[in-house]
Amino acid sequence: MESFARPLCWNVPHWAEVTLYAMIPPVVILFLIGLWWRIRKWRLGMPEPGDGKILATVVTRLKGLLSFARLKEFVTTTFFQWRLSRDSFATLMHLAIFWGMAVLFVGTALATLDQDFTSLLFDFQFLQGNVYRLYELALDGFGVVLILGVTLAVYRRYAARPERLKAAVTGISKWDTFPFLAILLLIAVTGFVAEGLRIAEGFHLQQQLQASADRSVEEKVQLIEELGVERKALFVGEERHEAELRRMAEQTNVFPAAAWAPVGYGLGKVFAPLSLGSIRTLHQLTWWLHALLAFAFILCVPFTKAWHLVSSPINILLRPVRPVGRLSVAVEAGAAQIGDLTWRQLLQIDSCTWCGKCQEVCPSHATGFALSPRSVVQKLDRVMIRAAANGAGGSEEPDETHRIHGDVIAADELWACVTCRACEDVCPVCIEQPQLVIDMRRHLIDQGEIDEGLQDALMNVQRYGNSFGQSGRKRAQWTKSLETAVKDANKEEVEYLWFVGDYASYDQRAQEPTRATARVFQQLGLDFGILDAKEQNAGNDVRRVGEEGLFELVQEKNCKVLEKARFQKIVTTDPHTYNTLKNEYTGNGSESPMDGRPIVHYTELFDQLLREGRLRPARMLDYRVTYHDPCYLGRYNGIYDAPRNVLKALGVKLVEMPRNRQNSFCCGAGGGRIWMKDVPGIEERPAEVRIREALELPDVGYFVVACPKDLAMFQDAVKTVGAEDRLRVVDLGELVFEAIGIREEVKV
Amino acid sequence: MNIVVVVRQVPDLIEPLEIAESGTSLDFDEVSFLVNETDDHALEQALLLKEAGGGTVTVVALDCGEVDDTLYTAAAKGADKIVKIPVEDELRPPAPPAAAALFAEAVKGLQADLVLVGSSAHDELEGMLAPLLALKLQLPYVGVIRGVRAGDGSVTAFKEFPGAVMAKMNVKLPAVLGILAADQPPRYVPVSRIKAATKSTEFEEVEVAAAAAPGVTVQRMYHPAAGERAEMLEGSEEEVAAKIAEILVEKGILK
Repeated sequence: MESFARPLCWNVPHWAEVTLYAMIPPVVILFLIGLWWRIRKWRLGMPEPGDGKILATVVTRLKGLLSFARLKEFVTTTFFQWRLSRDSFATLMHLAIFWGMAVLFVGTALATLDQDFTSLLFDFQFLQGNVYRLYELALDGFGVVLILGVTLAVYRRYAARPERLKAAVTGISKWDTFPFLAILLLIAVTGFVAEGLRIAEGFHLQQQLQASADRSVEEKVQLIEELGVERKALFVGEERHEAELRRMAEQTNVFPAAAWAPVGYGLGKVFAPLSLGSIRTLHQLTWWLHALLAFAFILCVPFTKAWHLVSSPINILLRPVRPVGRLSVAVEAGAAQIGDLTWRQLLQIDSCTWCGKCQEVCPSHATGFALSPRSVVQKLDRVMIRAAANGAGGSEEPDETHRIHGDVIAADELWACVTCRACEDVCPVCIEQPQLVIDMRRHLIDQGEIDEGLQDALMNVQRYGNSFGQSGRKRAQWTKSLETAVKDANKEEVEYLWFVGDYASYDQRAQEPTRATARVFQQLGLDFGILDAKEQNAGNDVRRVGEEGLFELVQEKNCKVLEKARFQKIVTTDPHTYNTLKNEYTGNGSESPMDGRPIVHYTELFDQLLREGRLRPARMLDYRVTYHDPCYLGRYNGIYDAPRNVLKALGVKLVEMPRNRQNSFCCGAGGGRIWMKDVPGIEERPAEVRIREALELPDVGYFVVACPKDLAMFQDAVKTVGAEDRLRVVDLGELVFEAIGIREEVKV
Repeated sequence: MNIVVVVRQVPDLIEPLEIAESGTSLDFDEVSFLVNETDDHALEQALLLKEAGGGTVTVVALDCGEVDDTLYTAAAKGADKIVKIPVEDELRPPAPPAAAALFAEAVKGLQADLVLVGSSAHDELEGMLAPLLALKLQLPYVGVIRGVRAGDGSVTAFKEFPGAVMAKMNVKLPAVLGILAADQPPRYVPVSRIKAATKSTEFEEVEVAAAAAPGVTVQRMYHPAAGERAEMLEGSEEEVAAKIAEILVEKGILK
């Protein structure tokens, strides 16, 4: 049986080891100071709405982990960085660094356990024989992986430099990440060099042993001892030391596992020509360097962006169980200062690694608006650092340093947000940027600092129940030219209550498509009705503008009407209406008329009717089309397949745009932007950028949408880019209408 | 500076106005009211003056035409005091001379330095309420004002004339100004603030003797019939649009 074990602190003098251990307490204290510095920042914040104390939030959220889906999300996101998966370079880089460091860390922990626990207390080492061989192989392998990962990171940051890593926020230099990356790289490099030098020493000893091959084992043991291999008083029992020396002498093999550490072995060959004395001195120096770098790394965690190692898993753990389409309200009057955000929001801000992925996908940023989600988060972080330094939370009155508006984050930035959720969806550390923006918008609304167009829309919703400023009595006027009347759901019982929404009802461009959908419903014999003049703006965008009071008002009015109406399910063509009815009209603690009644988008309904065989296209449409995923249908509610299934069933050839499904590029209307005035200096509107994206597709003649606001935005955009004769913006309902073969009848 | 703002409710024209069965007035049961736009500007001007130089803003209104919502909104915007004058008929606003008499009586007790009234209202295009009020209060008056700055014992008012001419005037206080537009458009006040004001605001009621019956009576109120020279285009939107296009081509405006 082989009896060799991991050498314990080879060539490291006892005093060095003791000094190293003596350094641990100060490092721990510094680490704790860093941790407290972080915690002080979060303590500025408000409690999470509905949860009360911090502990309550933590307990509720941890309980959430009991579900398989959330556990899976946690594991994939934390250990496999699944949220980076859309960027394969970043995934490779990050996985390499993460797993490289993880394995090296576990390796170091095992070595400590082996040396200072089992060996010290029980005179036994588990890192021996084949276990040790595998250990050496794993550590060498993952050391290489780490170096590879860091090299990729350095390449991307300092050679490739994509735009998102370039655009600097005040106070963030491009060298900001450098010390951290350098430490990671040097940890791996010094580890290999130290190993190589140790193995080189082994070669020297072996050479000496070979030169005295004719001597007895005892003489050889004596030779090794004369060459300066000492027994360390504390760590290895006399017996084991003797046995180990005998083994070396007998086998003429100092480190039997050396070949299992290929990098160390190779470096050992490189260093072998040096003298034994130089090798030993260099080894000790490298050993020290490696140890100090490891301490530096530990201190990097609370004091640099390496903090996301700790904060992002916490963020993911503490994610609320509510759907992403439901906004939360901590302070109804909005966030006027940093302490009006919740501690969980501050924790999120604290986790930002300024990777800029949010900025890269932001449609407002891409088209020249003042907004960058990253800047918003970073600016809030600066305020948080200053405010925490100035006196954290509690009963203290916030002072100037707590300010987040005005010259910190300008109103223009906040109003530029379309709440498309692209940033939140892509953020690797789960920051909820739209919620931050909306919390701050609530303050602007409270102060009446709003754009004229928005003011008109809000006053119209308040007074007339629709953003168009039209009479409520005209809401159902689009039905007048239908051949068959539509039921009034206030008076008659219906299976489907069609909540039409403002744009589908009032917007000139949307009315014909709305009628097309109505005709399809009628043709299929669907039992449906509308609320007519009693329907009010559902409030999705009113809420996202930050006008919480008005949202509550329209919600209350709608709920009163819905309570009286008799229906089984709700259908709507409007994703915005869909989102708020589905996610916000229920689940706010009070009873809602929506409770237990399904809410479906018309794309879902068509898909279902197809599967049931009720919807049967009479003819196949031989068009080449592309489909635009509405933000509030896709990223907010995960409905990507239903509209595609319907398109497929109609026989059209669907050609996807480069940015499809969760990467869809917003039309620019969301979050109330459709009501606001155009901002001067915009290079091109988001809708125009999107239309150009579609125009790149070969022979695509139709741009299919499933949202009445998209119709308005894209029909305008097609005109402004002058592509009316090449691309037709059509509603999915119109295509279904055409395919089921009633168009001719209507035209007659 | 004590600023008093006179606020009126006017019928909302978003719905077609109906004539009552009597045939001599609007069918007020079917009318929805909203604040007169220039009065809203007068309120905004008062609030801006207060914010710039201090003082109080008192809003005075007749208790008719669903005025409460407007008054709560005014309180939410920052009006310090709300005075409501009870009237005989809560649905039907009195004619301008009678209204002026009621307002004058109420304003007298308020030690106003400056009274701001909307220059006109869409149910009172002649704009006589403000001057009548000034007359009854025996105070100087200027109307069609677009902006006011506070001074010492006086205000500077900017008056607009046709032909792109502006005049900057010094008006000694106390005075009445007819406001066409404030220095800034009326502010937005969030619903939550209006709700809070609804709970916290108490209206002050000032009983004022009703004015003498006016010397003018409405004999008949009606929708004018289409003139003989007018041709009404009937049909759906598309049909009407097609006809308009046809006419434009016929007249040689479109080719």
